[in-house]
Amino acid sequence: MTNKERVQVNFFRPSAGPIKREVTIAGTIILFWALLSFGIPTLIYLAGRGDPSGLGESILTRARLFGFPLHYWLVAQGCTIGYVLLCKLYCVLWDKRAAKR
Amino acid sequence: MQLRPASFVLTGVLLLISAPVFAAGEEIYQVEPGFKLVPAIIMVTLLCVYIGVGFLSKVNETSGYWVAGRGIGKYGNGAAIASDWMSAASFMGVAGLLYLKGWFGLGYIIGWTGGYVLLLCLLAAQIAAAVTVIIAITYATAQFKGIGLICAWIFGMNYTASVFFAAGVVCAYMLISGMAGVTRNQQIQYVVLISAFIIPLWVLIRKAGGTGILPQLEYGSILSGLMQGKVAAGHLAAAEAEKVREAYLPWGGGNFYQFIALVFTLMVGTAGLPHIMIRFYTVKNEDVARKSVLWGLFFIGLLYWSSPVYAAMGRFWNPLGGQAVADVIILSAPEKAGLGIAFIGYLASGAMAAGLSTVAGLLVAGASAIAHDWYATVFKPDCTDRQALLVGRIFTALLCGIVILTALNPPALIAQIVAMAFAIAGNTIFPAVVLAVWYGKANKYGALAGMVWGLGMTLLAMAGWIAKIPFFGAEGLLPATSSALIVCPLAFLINIVVSNLTQSRVSDESADKMDNILRKLHNLPAKGEEKPAGEGAFGQ
Repeated sequence: MTNKERVQVNFFRPSAGPIKREVTIAGTIILFWALLSFGIPTLIYLAGRGDPSGLGESILTRARLFGFPLHYWLVAQGCTIGYVLLCKLYCVLWDKRAAKR
Repeated sequence: MQLRPASFVLTGVLLLISAPVFAAGEEIYQVEPGFKLVPAIIMVTLLCVYIGVGFLSKVNETSGYWVAGRGIGKYGNGAAIASDWMSAASFMGVAGLLYLKGWFGLGYIIGWTGGYVLLLCLLAAQIAAAVTVIIAITYATAQFKGIGLICAWIFGMNYTASVFFAAGVVCAYMLISGMAGVTRNQQIQYVVLISAFIIPLWVLIRKAGGTGILPQLEYGSILSGLMQGKVAAGHLAAAEAEKVREAYLPWGGGNFYQFIALVFTLMVGTAGLPHIMIRFYTVKNEDVARKSVLWGLFFIGLLYWSSPVYAAMGRFWNPLGGQAVADVIILSAPEKAGLGIAFIGYLASGAMAAGLSTVAGLLVAGASAIAHDWYATVFKPDCTDRQALLVGRIFTALLCGIVILTALNPPALIAQIVAMAFAIAGNTIFPAVVLAVWYGKANKYGALAGMVWGLGMTLLAMAGWIAKIPFFGAEGLLPATSSALIVCPLAFLINIVVSNLTQSRVSDESADKMDNILRKLHNLPAKGEEKPAGEGAFGQ
């Protein structure tokens, strides 16, 4: 086995140059993805901790955006629009990477 | 009544409200028997179009059967992804769900859209054959049942006859055309179903007092009004208003942990669904593959930005309806908007399109898992293209037969089993595929151990749910519908640990094979060519 060189791929310890760039791009997207998916619910959770009824009423549920309660808009449209933009960002980053090569 | 397919899958996904729904579906189609001319004409015309398109895209090569000759562009493939997907869960179920669960139901929306981001940036790889077949059968059964109910409603046939009728249509155009025909049809089907879904909204929003320019933004004020107890009939009494307000507050439908667990499970499940994954291979090159996910997500978004409008409208006119109202939200909408029988026929055809396209996509995915991954790779590697194609067609028909048999006589718990499809995909396929792409040391033993763990835990959680063990219940730590938050990371861990332990047992040959695949996936030069000079040689 020693005479054969094999590719080492490890998401957390990327070795070769191209893979490193791939991981950077995927990592960026996943970071934003996690912020959207779990950050926003966490924000709503933290803001609503003061509500004694446990329903999570807070400044976020009282505020209005385009007529929506803010917490509703953030999840129903904010997140999903964010996901589409993230996919776009991924394609753009990838094209850039390809152009560099 | 005619729009059952999505709702069947969704009820499964929901579980909380599953039991009475099957009965309801059958009741409804028995309520209005007889032949309906206008919807029948619309339906038959569309079916002819589908089969015609299938015939025109006739293929003779294996690759054409499986992956549409890789000649589908980003918009077309995006529409096909959306069409594949929407039939699976969304056509009418999501609106009913949002109606019942208020804000908490939004977890389904972000779960089902966010999964595509994961899919896009993490995956582009092989599918696990056995699990694919299980998921294909489970999903397709529910779709066939839905299609059967639609045909029964339109043509006045009995349920058995209409299942066979639907199966005949699916088989005919799939066997003739394979993936190319299916994909082209899915583009048509997307247009039919999204237009049938969105058009009534403009009429509805006007009836509710909006200006009717962009319903997806205008329902916000109606929603805010709902939270203060303002509905169509005036003001709600204090107790009722409180109930509606509760539903739209964050934790009225479940707590923070339940929300996160649900979202996570749906996301990894979405990213692991085999019939969505196979779409990655229906395009010319990776570039188009990436862009088609972008467009696919946008097309799916159109639906998900619209279904909460239906839910809010439902609350507006019927603030405290239960399951029965939620089930028919989409149906009652065109009626309420006064759009007439022809439009309802069109809507039924949209739902039918939704069911057909998913069944077709699934059967192709399932049969390709058997014929391509197993027959042509393991069983008979030296078979010709023609033989592989023949085996593929035989297995398509065979799978179709199995699905017909299950759909004719659905096991009592089919809704629950369908619900598990997401958890199964997220707990088994997703970790295995992600590691195969991103972790060079992952080997088949690790993948197997991880998948056995994922599948076992999902089934255990399911059994626990049925047996009403609180730990696996909706309020428990490991709800059957949301088990991936805990099970999926562990599946990753098990896969990594076992892969490392069994490293010495991997034969040189299979390690070489894996090496080649990884090079292809990550666009590295093949062995023997100039290797990159090491880290940072190309800059960041």
